Amino acid sequence: MLPDPTPADLERATAGDVDAFRTIVERYQRMVYSVAYNVLGNQTDAEDAAQEAFLRCYRKLPQYRAEATFSTWLFRLALTASVDYRRREGRRPEPVEVPETAGDDPALGDGISSSTLVAALHDLPDDYRVPTVLRDIYGLPYQEIADLTARPLGTVKVMVHRGRASLRLRLQAEREA
Amino acid sequence: MDCSYFCSRLNQFVDGELGYLEVAELQGHLSFCPDCAAELARISEVRAAMAAWGEAELAPPPGFAERVLARAALDPVPGSRRPFGRVVSDTLDQLDEALGRVPLPGGRTVPVKNVIGYGIAAAALAAELQRRRLRRLRELKSL
Ligand SMILES: [Zn+2]
Repeated sequence: MLPDPTPADLERATAGDVDAFRTIVERYQRMVYSVAYNVLGNQTDAEDAAQEAFLRCYRKLPQYRAEATFSTWLFRLALTASVDYRRREGRRPEPVEVPETAGDDPALGDGISSSTLVAALHDLPDDYRVPTVLRDIYGLPYQEIADLTARPLGTVKVMVHRGRASLRLRLQAEREA
Repeated sequence: MDCSYFCSRLNQFVDGELGYLEVAELQGHLSFCPDCAAELARISEVRAAMAAWGEAELAPPPGFAERVLARAALDPVPGSRRPFGRVVSDTLDQLDEALGRVPLPGGRTVPVKNVIGYGIAAAALAAELQRRRLRRLRELKSL
């Protein structure tokens, strides 16, 4: 987890000091962009939603209370901005492109590469990908996913089960190919 | 009981949604059914891969931070006077955080913000209806 900005940084950013806000954006851009990319499944939409998340952050800075860590607070903003973006905008058809990862590629398991998983997620319909990503990448409780996506709880569960099944088949097919 | 009964429970099992007895029943079946055991292993594998992928930090496209800052620079200073619409929306957000959610029949819940939003819409509608009724009364009087 990244260190939180100092109270002095936050105060300066809240007062409209763009340089102070720059340190916040530079420190957290990968985290915010990763959330947006995973929820939305393509780079163009992810950039728009990540920008939106940072703008909401900028506007809501006066409301930030140190009860939550700053990164947790910003993470929630990134999630809601991404889900809202998907509900508002249609999906732009875009070929799958794996963004660069900072550091080593994570070990995802036997015969599963980052590009395989990213392609499988990219090809999932939004209705499956969004709740499955929220559940299995970010560990959100089902009720929270239902609230965020404005879907009934039962529907969300079915979508996640189907999303997992579809990913499972896809990964299996890739391995056998 | 056949495999389809247990298969449908595997997702609930990995989500920790089964009760003690249901878990025991499922584990009993898994101990002698290689098909269901393999299915559980595959679901777990997908979930583990997803969780591991969540640890990766993805790099935004070049120039991303600059574009964010350029947009923020167009915005009014965060603590300054805000347009009325945003004040309303922020206030509703804060109420939402303070009051949480309102239960609906059937076990669903909605954020307080939405309920208040409906309340404002209903009040606006009632005011409009009242205005029209008064206008009609005036028209009738003037006849
Ligand atoms: Zn079985």
